[in-house]
Amino acid sequence: MADRIEGVKKLFTSKSARVETNRGDAHYEKLFQLCQARIEELKTQTPSRNRLDIDDLLKDQGINRRDFMKWASAVTGMLMLPASFTPLVADAALLMNRAPVIWIELSDCAGNTEAMLRSDGPKIDEILLDIISLEFNETIMAASGHQAEAQLEDAMHTFKDKYLLFVEGAIPMGMNGQFGTIGAHGETFYDHLMRISKHAAAIVAVGSCATFGGVPAASPNPTGAVGVMDVVKGKPLINIPACPANPANMVGVIIHYILTGQVPELDSLLRPKFAFGYRIHDNCERRAHFDAGEFVEEWGDEGAKNNFCLYKVGCKGPMTFNNCSIVRYNEGVNWPVGVGRGCIGCSEPDFWDKYAYERPMADANIKAPTGGVEKTVDEFGLGLLTAAGIGIGIHAAASILAGKKEDGGEA
Amino acid sequence: MKAGYKQVKRMTGMMRSIHFVNIISMIVAVITGLYIADPYYQAFIAEDAVDKYVMAWNRWGHFIVAIIFDVTSIIVAYLFFFSRFEKPYKKVIPTKRNIVEFFEVLLNLLTLNRRKKFDSTHSDSFNTVYFAIFHLLLAWMLFTGLQLYVHVFPHGDSSIGAWWPWMLHLVTDWTLVVSSWMVGTTATGANIMDVRISHHLTMWLLLVWVAFHIYYQIWRTIFWKEGDIAIAVGGSKFIKEDKA
Repeated sequence: MADRIEGVKKLFTSKSARVETNRGDAHYEKLFQLCQARIEELKTQTPSRNRLDIDDLLKDQGINRRDFMKWASAVTGMLMLPASFTPLVADAALLMNRAPVIWIELSDCAGNTEAMLRSDGPKIDEILLDIISLEFNETIMAASGHQAEAQLEDAMHTFKDKYLLFVEGAIPMGMNGQFGTIGAHGETFYDHLMRISKHAAAIVAVGSCATFGGVPAASPNPTGAVGVMDVVKGKPLINIPACPANPANMVGVIIHYILTGQVPELDSLLRPKFAFGYRIHDNCERRAHFDAGEFVEEWGDEGAKNNFCLYKVGCKGPMTFNNCSIVRYNEGVNWPVGVGRGCIGCSEPDFWDKYAYERPMADANIKAPTGGVEKTVDEFGLGLLTAAGIGIGIHAAASILAGKKEDGGEA
Repeated sequence: MKAGYKQVKRMTGMMRSIHFVNIISMIVAVITGLYIADPYYQAFIAEDAVDKYVMAWNRWGHFIVAIIFDVTSIIVAYLFFFSRFEKPYKKVIPTKRNIVEFFEVLLNLLTLNRRKKFDSTHSDSFNTVYFAIFHLLLAWMLFTGLQLYVHVFPHGDSSIGAWWPWMLHLVTDWTLVVSSWMVGTTATGANIMDVRISHHLTMWLLLVWVAFHIYYQIWRTIFWKEGDIAIAVGGSKFIKEDKA
């Protein structure tokens, strides 16, 4: 009976937002053995092509072993693994150059690549992304044109069925995909993605455009942009939304993959639960001001100076699932709410149309996603109520004018 | 009692209690819900945060009446099918008799009581359908509300045990997809903002429902002269002997 209850429970909750932080000793012991065996096996392999050495890189940036181990224990915590996994996570980080990565760009602004490259004084997360075996990335590679295409072909051939495919950007499906083409052959983004994803071990959609369509898919979505999970089927797919995606979460996913050979546990939107299982709101440093009803009423007012809650100037933390209130950006330097600028829900589907406005939803002019007239929900509702009131008024007036019928029924 | 009239029992004590509990719950839910949606009054800025707790109290009130609403809804849903007094579902089934009665009642309203070709002794098909619509709107409100609520338990545990958030996910996760379909989206994937928009809009639909309900019951009382308004208070209405 207990088994059946457990089975039913699993069936119905496997895709929900629930985060299981403690799975019991037996589970972790088994996982530890598995990870250890995998790490040992990876150690025997030679690094694919990236000859940068992590130890040298860390030394060059002035990061000592102690800092590195502190980082490893933080990542272990982020991945919701017990502290005993810390040495394995550190090993996995050192072995990140065993994972060949192909990174392609579609309809986007290269913001996710930029977020990694432009971090001021790279920290461990960004350095680790230097040592992954990045076989192809249009934005940062020296080659171009036919040379770049040859490089891609070579990487796809050499690491067939082994490479991780990182996708940045939405896929325009309108006009047979002609809104976006790439390379000398004018291959559409859709064909490009389908061809490269065919022999990928797993696909990681990075940023809100690749996951949910993002800004290109904002109403009225002229190019018919969609996310990767709409077009690629039958492949392990991990979504790391946000604009830009947090490098800490990309590293988390890669380390998890190296460590276990599996994709991390995902929610119904295929986001890793370790990063997207929580609402920003519940871990927000300004949460106490929300409960107290202390809000910033307008930019720069007394409340803003006192770090009051940003809900009334449009913070969407209560409706947004992400870990930025915990891990923050740029190795914990700061995050939007920390600088006094509310969350715009950038890691949620449809964020541009339904989250990114500087007032609460009930006070906002939300443009109908399918195009059409701008109407707030309240105006529409109040309109309905007014219509009903007018209808009632007319009926009442007519009733009074017509006079009462003593008996009812046909006179 | 006025001579020539007969008293007809229409609502039991239980039904009347639920009716007024629902009224109070709904008023509180609307007042607190509007604050949660867009805090429309300010806390005293000079007081300490611990003394204010304004949003938290509003949310507390909103959730308490929501839970009361949940329980009365379960009772009403039960009575809808199994009441020993009157089983309302019998008036909602689209049989020929019910359809004719539905339109006769509607015609009675539209002809300003010039035409009244149905038996107003017992609950008629039109009103029962109208009440059924209310409870469907309310059910949608409860499911979407609980979906918005369940995310306060990310670890899947609550003060009354893990079964509660587990059950809430089980019975409300579908509202994400349905809301997304209702609100409309150009993105891949459903988001919780659609549930919120739908929850907020449904409040207005319920207020529209209430406006007509109150008007219509008063109108019936005035025009039918059968004391319909007393049903919700005393439980009975009065009907002319020769008609009953």
